[in-house]
Amino acid sequence: MTPEPMHAITGKTPEFGPSFVPRFLSRHVSVVLLLLVLMSEAGVGAFVMRDLFKIYATVQNIYGGSVQGLRGIGEMQYQAQETRRSTLYALTTNDGNLQVKYADQSREADRLVTKGIAEYAAQARDDRQIAVGRRLASDWDTYLRVRDEVLGLILESSTKEAVELDLTFGVPVFERIRQDLEEMKILYDEEASQQLAAVAQSSRRSMTKLIAVLGFALLLGGIAIWTIQKSKMRAEVQFAKLQMEFVASVSHGLRTPITAILTAGENIRDGLVREKHSLFEQGSIITAQASQLMDLVDQVLRFAACANPSSTHSLQELQVSEIIEHALQSTKGLVQQAGFTLDTEIEPDLPPVIADLQVLSQCLQNLIVNAVKYGDRDRWIGVIARLDHRTREIQIDVQDHGFGISPADAAHIFEPFYRSPQVVSARIHGTGLGLSIAKRSAEVFGGRISVATQAGCGSVFTLHLPVERIERAGALSVARLGSRA
Amino acid sequence: MGLQTRTRTRTTLIILVLQLNLSSGLDRQAAAGSPDGRVKLHETLAIVINRSNPIDNLAFKELRKIFLGERNHWPNGHRIAVAMLYYGQPERQTILRLVYRMQEDQYQDYLLKGMFRGEVFAAPKTLDSPLILRKFIFNAPGGIGYLRATDLDDSVKVVRIDGLLPQDKNYALQIDEEEPE
Repeated sequence: MTPEPMHAITGKTPEFGPSFVPRFLSRHVSVVLLLLVLMSEAGVGAFVMRDLFKIYATVQNIYGGSVQGLRGIGEMQYQAQETRRSTLYALTTNDGNLQVKYADQSREADRLVTKGIAEYAAQARDDRQIAVGRRLASDWDTYLRVRDEVLGLILESSTKEAVELDLTFGVPVFERIRQDLEEMKILYDEEASQQLAAVAQSSRRSMTKLIAVLGFALLLGGIAIWTIQKSKMRAEVQFAKLQMEFVASVSHGLRTPITAILTAGENIRDGLVREKHSLFEQGSIITAQASQLMDLVDQVLRFAACANPSSTHSLQELQVSEIIEHALQSTKGLVQQAGFTLDTEIEPDLPPVIADLQVLSQCLQNLIVNAVKYGDRDRWIGVIARLDHRTREIQIDVQDHGFGISPADAAHIFEPFYRSPQVVSARIHGTGLGLSIAKRSAEVFGGRISVATQAGCGSVFTLHLPVERIERAGALSVARLGSRA
Repeated sequence: MGLQTRTRTRTTLIILVLQLNLSSGLDRQAAAGSPDGRVKLHETLAIVINRSNPIDNLAFKELRKIFLGERNHWPNGHRIAVAMLYYGQPERQTILRLVYRMQEDQYQDYLLKGMFRGEVFAAPKTLDSPLILRKFIFNAPGGIGYLRATDLDDSVKVVRIDGLLPQDKNYALQIDEEEPE
């Protein structure tokens, strides 16, 4: 049977909540959803801005094309009338000076009409516009020839002939010009209507897009809020459950030694135990159980101290061997009582560490106690300290050949109060605070804890302490702190 | 199109030559001086017609008939419309003296009687300035009038009188006017 591969986990797990919630409902998912909402809204904004610019350009186009065109036609209509009106004014007088003046006015007006027709022809887009433009140019040319002859006759005092010529040829041609201009106006109207319809359609499209994307964003936002609420609620429920379990665990932890102490005390009080060795036995039970009680209270206090960021530490320059020795001494009784063999291997010439001896020692003690609790199979613990030159870290391994940790539990073992269902069912007592305290203790000095484990084979918990930090802190602290070297 | 361009070019050249000769003529006259301390200036009058009129040359006799209203139509059928400048202007005085051979009051009397008797079909148009006269000729295909060389441009056509242009020697229409020195 091929052994299951070891898997490594670092101790960088969140405090509460998220990890107790299914992954798809985690806050990360909510953040992603919110980002999606923001991106959707930004997308909507971009769409709307683009469409607004498009509509603005179209409106400008309508104004520049149709409105200006209509204005131009209106101007042409006026100037065409002016051309004819001035010619007819010349009929009303015999004064040659006035007649010349009216002729000048007529020619000035006709120049503007001719210019307007040329501009229209240059801007004409479709066949109908081009055809109307050509017809108007031709009609206007014909009218100008008639107009010139009429003016000539007026100046030559041939008024009757001038009137006859105008009625015979001038009036019909001018009527055709009027119709041409009207037709041009209708064409511009049609074009403007088409462009307005296009703008309206574009606006409707923009509105539809806006509603669709806003609806989508609203939906995503709703899901995100629901997810966050759900996640928060689950986290709170989970936390409450953990607190209850913690209280139950602590109560159990308190009750067991108290019961033992109470029983021993009653035995002595009631005279059930009188012989010296029996009294010693009962006394030992009382002290042992009181010590267990003390440990439990210490654990809870330590966790509270770790959770308090304003806690102060007594920094000292420490040798790694010194820290390990301190931890081993503190756990020696437990290890021996449990019948464990403990091997130690410390690399020579390791750099010193600037830390609080009690805190780092407690960190290692917790790892060792953890190994004793769950390393029951081979009853062996290995403590190895070395310098990893690649990562510039001092690494202290605490190994055991115990139960190992399942992948499902491995993700949660550093969370406070967490106890795996298997551990609970195996009636292994504990508060679920040991590894959490160890992790926090390591982090106080810039370190971390990782674990490589395989279910059924054992685990290796590694305390990582960065050398740079140690050296820097050492350089700063040499003058400040008392050296214990 | 080519004919029009050639005609226009020829007219421009004539105007340029007229203006050059006029200025040199004026210089010569001014240099001569006069015994009473005033300089006598001599300038010519160009007879102008509409550019569409095919006539290039008129005998002085024909010119006189036209101005007197004894002839009413051009060969192309257009009615002749004579344009005169306003009273008292040197050009008008010259035309009255050389063409009509009348004084102002005689001219007025002639017109009145001629129109009454039907001998003069239409009285000449009296125009305020050479500019208006030039525009009149430009607009009236049957128009005829007179202008100094300095008032000429391409919009009208200068007609020869007895084969002579205004700058030619022995041209009939010389303006006599006295200008303060």
